[in-house]
Parts: sequence; structure tokens; C-alpha cells
Amino acid sequence: MEARYRGTSRQGQFIAERTWFHLCGIVGFTGEREAQEIVLDCLKRLEYRGYDSAGIAMISDGALTLKKSVGEISALESQIERMPGLTGIAHTRWATHGKPTTANAHPFTDCKGEYALVHNGILTNYMELKEQLIKRGHKFTSETDSEVLVHMLEEVAGADLKSKVLAVLKLVEGSYAIAVVQKGHDEIVAARNESPLIVGVGHDENFIASDVTAILKHTNEVIYLLDREAVRITPKGVELFDLNGVAFERDPKKVSWNLEDAEKSGYAHFMLKEIFEQPRAIHESLLGRLEGQEDDAFFKEQFTSIKILGCGTSYHAGLVGKYIIEELSRIPTNAQISSEYRYSPVTEAKPLVVCISQSGETADTLAAAREAKKRGCKTIAITNVLGSAITREADFVIYTRAGPEIGVAATKTFVTQLIALYLLGLRLGTIKNTISSERRREIVSEMRALPRIVQSVLNDAGKIEDFAKKYKCAQSMFFIGRHMNYPTSLEGALKTKEISYIHGEGYPAGELKHGPLALLSKDTPVVAICAADHTYEKMLGNVREVTARESPVLAIGVEGNQDLEKYAEDVFLVPKVDPLFSPIPIIVALQLFAYYLAIARGCPIDKPRNIAKTVTVE
Amino acid sequence: MKAVILAAGEGKRLRPFTYSEPKVMIPVANRSIMDYVVRSLVCNKITEIVMVVGYRKERIMSYFGDGDGFGAEITYVNQDKQLGNGHAVLAASEHIDGDFMILPGDSLIDARSVADLQSIGAGHGALVIESDMPAKYGVAILERNRISDILDRRGEGASNIVLAGAYKLPASFFDTLEICVEGGDYNLSHALKLYVQDIKIEPVFCQGLWIDAVYPWDLIEVNHAALANTPVQTAGTIETGVLIHGKVSIGKGTTIRAGTTLYGPIAIGLGCDIGPNVSIFSSTSIGDNVTIDPFSVIRNSVIMSDCSIGSHSMLSQSVLGYGVKVRSHLMASSADAFVNLEEEFYRVPNIGTLVGEDCSMGSGVSIEPGTIIGPKSRIMSGSKVSRNVPTGAIHS
Repeated sequence: MEARYRGTSRQGQFIAERTWFHLCGIVGFTGEREAQEIVLDCLKRLEYRGYDSAGIAMISDGALTLKKSVGEISALESQIERMPGLTGIAHTRWATHGKPTTANAHPFTDCKGEYALVHNGILTNYMELKEQLIKRGHKFTSETDSEVLVHMLEEVAGADLKSKVLAVLKLVEGSYAIAVVQKGHDEIVAARNESPLIVGVGHDENFIASDVTAILKHTNEVIYLLDREAVRITPKGVELFDLNGVAFERDPKKVSWNLEDAEKSGYAHFMLKEIFEQPRAIHESLLGRLEGQEDDAFFKEQFTSIKILGCGTSYHAGLVGKYIIEELSRIPTNAQISSEYRYSPVTEAKPLVVCISQSGETADTLAAAREAKKRGCKTIAITNVLGSAITREADFVIYTRAGPEIGVAATKTFVTQLIALYLLGLRLGTIKNTISSERRREIVSEMRALPRIVQSVLNDAGKIEDFAKKYKCAQSMFFIGRHMNYPTSLEGALKTKEISYIHGEGYPAGELKHGPLALLSKDTPVVAICAADHTYEKMLGNVREVTARESPVLAIGVEGNQDLEKYAEDVFLVPKVDPLFSPIPIIVALQLFAYYLAIARGCPIDKPRNIAKTVTVE
Repeated sequence: MKAVILAAGEGKRLRPFTYSEPKVMIPVANRSIMDYVVRSLVCNKITEIVMVVGYRKERIMSYFGDGDGFGAEITYVNQDKQLGNGHAVLAASEHIDGDFMILPGDSLIDARSVADLQSIGAGHGALVIESDMPAKYGVAILERNRISDILDRRGEGASNIVLAGAYKLPASFFDTLEICVEGGDYNLSHALKLYVQDIKIEPVFCQGLWIDAVYPWDLIEVNHAALANTPVQTAGTIETGVLIHGKVSIGKGTTIRAGTTLYGPIAIGLGCDIGPNVSIFSSTSIGDNVTIDPFSVIRNSVIMSDCSIGSHSMLSQSVLGYGVKVRSHLMASSADAFVNLEEEFYRVPNIGTLVGEDCSMGSGVSIEPGTIIGPKSRIMSGSKVSRNVPTGAIHS
């Protein structure tokens, strides 16, 4: 890989980077109802997984019909007429191999039009397979890795679809979640390896999908497939088996997410809805966890150091987590980006490794969790998705109870990840006896107050909207903070980049004078986080430093620090909290700021260009 | 039959409790007022519901979703400007064909009242009640078994029969309504006044429960009525030495500590921490994530989610909005009092204090009965509060 991209031009670099982002969604339905509408409806709920092309294949009375299009699923929907049939599969794609074109969109069929297949993942040995297939006369219609699978189905021996699919999977390497249908058969065969796939169990109808949100409207009974497992669904039944064809049984789990959770509830965008759901999400995450959890056997071990791993927003949560855990438990803690972890040397002391992933399917974080296990470290997973891949890798799991997050920009999952880290810090601190019982009581009561504090910030959303309108023309913007709010500034900058396409740069305030001051001018607004803690005076100094360069300053402060108005042009005050918890109300204010900036600039909020929600390749 | 629920208004008269939430979402016995309306409809197999929403509609839509959790199918209609209830009903017209019901979302109404209205068969009717309360929806003049006229307010010699705001009407009513609304009259009862001249609308006397929270202190009575019908469910941790009498429901994740006494009916939400040695008397509702410290006494009050009450506090016949924080030794006892609501004085029997959301109080605050304390205000330690405190004010 390294050699392939070395020395590429800027343009090349961009393409190379883009291929690292990958994610697709697949769904399948077989039952006694017309499948087309159901499949497309399910697929729409997976749009956040990628949306540069989509396609559907239907089985009806011995015919196999296929439709694909470029763009969002609504584009596909508008192009197709009614396709009859009780069985169908569909795919929403995020380009990895090959450009987003109709030809490259899934599903794919073989040369005879006997089978149709959808695939999410990357096949590592597809080049050689493809060459062999071409030599034997197969006609390829796309540039994708996925198409080899469907041509291989023609060649392998097997009595039925199930045994053919298993035979093909024996020959391929890489990651996949696939679903296959065959002309004249009301059945779907699906399998997974390192890509997410679930089975939805209904009455006289069954589903497969990349994740639960797709099928919740129809059923909440779900079977989670593990790696190297497969399933055959018919309207009447679900047969589970491993890749050797050995059948096994697993009971469905009831998923408590309601579909209403997955809809917008009157908010203009999912992101806004999710920002406003944060008080409830915090409340849920705290429920029953504020006391009496210290006796778990896992925490009996004495941890001498802690390493927190995550990507993107989860990494920022980890950076805040460093301060939280060190403050509460005095255990040396570091945060690292998941994909970099494997390059760090094995240390003599084995740190406790905390892996944070919203989806629990983030490939980089999964790989890091496996690496940590290999190194003999104990691991904790912090994730929002019950039964996701990372929960099977980790020794201990803390669930963030945020509910499904559809907006690509993480909001409520970030805040609940912080809650999970506060709870972890509190637990470690109680066990290590590094916090007094009085301080513990204070912390618990502060945590109970958090839902209301966040609600207060949300009630002031109108003020933030006004600030956003004022700053909407900025080309770039700095976010500065110190101590715990340095990572908050990084997260605020990331939100701004992701959805408003303004180049936001998070910086430790003390580092401004070591370089970035050169970039400041009256066209470069600075968002200064001035928490009411021991950094406050220093932050005022930084604000003066910035205003001296004529940069407009939006200061985010805490109620009681009204004197900020003397230093900064615009001031937004969040309710007073213990400094340990200041990142929570402040990030909520910055999320709203990024959201309203994007609104003012007319950006597509829930589906920003070039980024996807769950990144399932490394 | 479909039902239209009117839920677009803010409920200004119910301030301070409508500061960030529409009136229909105010919790009584830990469920929103409109929750009871929806359930009463579903009990009578009326599951197709059109909700007219406007003010803070997101709160409502997040709560009810598509109605699946309630066994209903809810369609939302957005009324951008809250011009009047007639205008609101008209907004729902495109979803209605045939007979339909109209219900206010902000009155506690039980299944029986809905059943009575429904039982007039092919006929049409309006729920009426004998009341000396101000006539919010108009006064009905009866002539044998039909409503012959509707007056805005009780005039001389007029009846004390008032409209409860719940109706069963035919779709043809929309024609009359449209004429009124286009003529600039957005009041539903004015359109009805015209309509009853030609079409027979029967009065249906309310035999069941119907309570409209008009003033903020009405919440105490509404809460009392709602608690009477709340099913008992007990979860959470109840330490040894807790005494429970009567109907008490306790939510998941809540801890009730030793020496606490609970005299039902009481509803306690999720994740609360109460005690040790707290006494709570009927009819009290406590929301989610509430802490009540030792030696506090609560009587017949509504305490909304996220409040914390310090030790040795006394609270009687009172309402605390969301997130009210009290340090310790709060005295909020009740008595007959004159309450100043927007510069009008009302004589209210046995009333405590009404505190808006996010108010924070220091230790040893004493509040005169009948005082209204605005949202986000701060009351300093040791204060004696004998007058209303405005929103966001600091009282010392």
C-alpha cells in the first residue's frame, strides 16, 4: 500500500485518502408481501452508510429484474417502475473500487443472469480471481471487486444456492457481508466476515441488513451474525450455519430501539434532533450506574496505565478521557488514534486499553482491539451498539445508551462517550481510593445535574444561531482552549469542518504564539473556550493576543464570568458546572454553532460530502 | 373514526411551566397531559389520530413518534402561526373524511368521556359540563336535546353549562369553519355557533373525568386526579426500613433509602435517589433523576424531572418545574392565598409555591404560600420570598 501512494501528486493523495473511507449498506427481504417497497424503505434507512449509488434486484416467477442508479436512493426510487416479486435485495454504495457509476453499482449478476449479489467489504484477492475468470470467458461489467463473487457462483459445484455460496466463500479472502438471490427461488443466502450483517426475524417474512435501523419498522427481533457465519432465509424460516455448512442455532434478541427514534421528530435534520436528544441520552447513560458498580471482578486488577483508542470524534472523547481518568484515579492515561496504535512498540507494563467506537464496527478500532489483546492487555470497549463486533473482542463493555445516531456528524454519541469515561474514572477512582467520599458525592450530584445543564444550553440555541449567521462567511476559523477544553476545541473544529465545510482548526491556546498567530486576520474568527477553572486567566491573555490581530472572537464562557464581555466581541455563556464537567455544555454549544453555520451556508447537514458514518475498512 | 387533537398552543396562562415546553407536554403523574388524551382515544378503539402541532412541536413529536408505542397511528399537521383553535382544526381537514372527533390536548380526559361522546351513534355532539369555571370554549344554550346557541361568556340568565372542548362532528363542519376562518375569525366556538343553527349537535354531559388545567395551580388537582388511575409498578432498589402505604409506583434505577415513608398515591420516575428518612405524602408525583435528601417532607406536590431537594425541606401543595435545585431547609408550606398571575389576583385555597424550571435556591429559603417563582431565577440563602420572582431574577 505504502509504495502505491508514495510520491503521488496532490490529486492522487486525495483519491488515495478517499479510498480509505468505505462503507456500504445491504438489505434483503423475502416474505409474502410485495418486496420492492419494503426493500427500498429499509435501504433508505441505511443511506447514512453511503449514498453515491444504489441498486435493487427482485425475484418474481422465474424472472430476475435489476435496477441501479447513481446518487441517493431517492434517485433510484424515482427511476423505477413497479418491479413485482416477493424477494429482493438492495445495496447503497460508497465507492471504494471503481467510481460511483451505474455500472459499478450493486447488485451484480453473472453472465447468464441467474444470480444477483450485493456485497459490502473489500476482497483482497479479487485481482487474480478476476483474471482467471476473464480467461475462462466471463464478461465483467464493472470495475469492482464484488463482481467476481457472482461469476464464481456459475463455476462452483453445489446442489443448491447455499452450498454454492459456501463454495465461493472458501476461495475468497478479505472482508464481506454478502446477500445472494437466485432466479426462481424465494430465498436469500447471506454471509459475513469483518463487515456487519444482521438477520431480522418477522412473521412469515425475514430480513437481512447491514444494521438494525434498516429493519426496525418491520421487526425488532434480531439475530446478530458473527464473522464467518452464514444464513439462508425464506419467508418461513431462518437457517444459520458456518462456512463449512454446519448448522447451528441462536435465539433472536429483542431490540428496544423504536423506529420513531430513527426518524426526525419534527426537527429539520437528524443532527439537530440528535443534539436536542442529548439530555435524554445523558440521563439514560447514567441510569442505575452512579453507585455500587465497583465490585465487578474485572476491576480487581491493578492497572498501572491506561491507553484510550479511537478514531475521529471517538478519539477526541478519548483525549478528554485522559484528563478525566487522570484527575479521578491518578492512573497515567494516554489517548491514541486507533490506526496508529499498531505502530507503537509493545511496552513492558501492560496498559488497560479502552477502545471507543460508536458503531462498534470501526475497522481501525477493531483491529487495534485485536492487537491489544494479542499484546496481552485487558480491553474495555465503549460503544453504542449492542452486540457489535467490538463487544466480542473486549473483556469488558460499557454501552453508551444514546440510541441510534443517523446524522453523520457524531453529537449525542460523543457526549455519552464522555459520560462513559466519567463513569469509568469514577469507578477506578473509587477502587483506588483517590477520591474522597465527599468529592464523590459532589461528582455524582454534578453528573445528575448534567441533563438539565445541557437542556439550558439548548434553550439558548437561538443566540448561537445569531452568532453563526455572523460568522458564516469565514474561510477558516480557529478553536482554542486549554486543559480539558483543548480536546473540546478539536471536536468543535471537527464538527465545523464536517458539516459547514469551513476549515476549522482546534489548537491548544498556549500554542498560538508558536506559529498560528501568523494566520490570524480580521477574516479569521477565533472561538475561545474560557472555562471557569485554573486556565481562565491564561485564556483571557490568549483572547487579548487574538483581538490584537483584529480577529473577531467568539468566547464560550461559563455563567458568572460576565467580565468576558470586556475582552471578546461575542460571548456565549453556558451554565456553571464543576470544571471537571465543563467540556459537556461547551461541546453542546459548539455542536449547535457548527450546525447553524452549516445551515447559514446552505450545506447538506446529515450527509456531508466525502464522509460516511461508520468506517468499516482500515 | 379519526380524532383531531389540538396541541399547537403554548398555554401562556400556565406559565411558568410552559417556559420551554408546550402545555400539552406538562407532566402529571409522570406522563404528559396529552398522553392521557391519546390513551383515552385508543381505549375506545380510535387509533387514527391527527395532531395539530406548532409551539415546540419537536417535543411532542419526540414523545409520541408515529404513535406505535401507544397503539395509535399519529399524523402531524403543523400550524405555523397559532391564530386560533378554529384555524388549527381546519389545518387537519385534509386528513379527515367522514365523522371525526376534536379533543383539546391540554385537558385531562378519561376513556369514559370519549366513550360517551362516541356512543351518540350516527348523531353528532359536544361534550359539556356544568361548571362555574370560566368558559374557555363557550357557554352552551340548550333547547331540548340539542345545542341551540353558543355564547362567548356567561351573560345574565345564561346557563352554567360550558363546552369542554371535545366534539364529534361530521366532515361538513369544515365548510362552515372554512368560511369563518377565511373571514378572519379563527375561533372554533364561533364557527360552531353558526353550525348549530342548521345541524343538530347534541349535548353530551360529561360523566367521566374532565379537568382542564387553566391556571398553574390547577396542576396540583390534575395531578391528583391522574394519580388515582396510575397503575402501580415497582422497580429500583428499596432499602430495608422503607414504609410504603397505598398505591406507589417506583421507576427503574431509583433508590429509596432506609427510613423513608411513602403514603400513596405517589408516582416516582426513573433514576431517583430518595432518602434516607424522607416522608412523602399523597398525591405526589416525582419525575426522573430527582434527589431528595434526608428529613424532607413532601405533600401533594408535583416535582418534575432533574430536581434536587436538600435536606430538611418542607414542600406542600407545590409544583417544582424541571431542574429546580434547592440546597436545604426550604420552607414552602401551604395556606389559602391570593395569587398574583400577570397582575391579576386570584383567591386560591390551600396553595403552596409554584417554581419555574432551573430555579436554584440556597439554604434556608422560606417562601410565602401562593408565590410564583420564575424560571432560571436564583434565590439566595436565607431569603424570605413573599412576592413573585420574575424569570431569571436574583432574589436576596
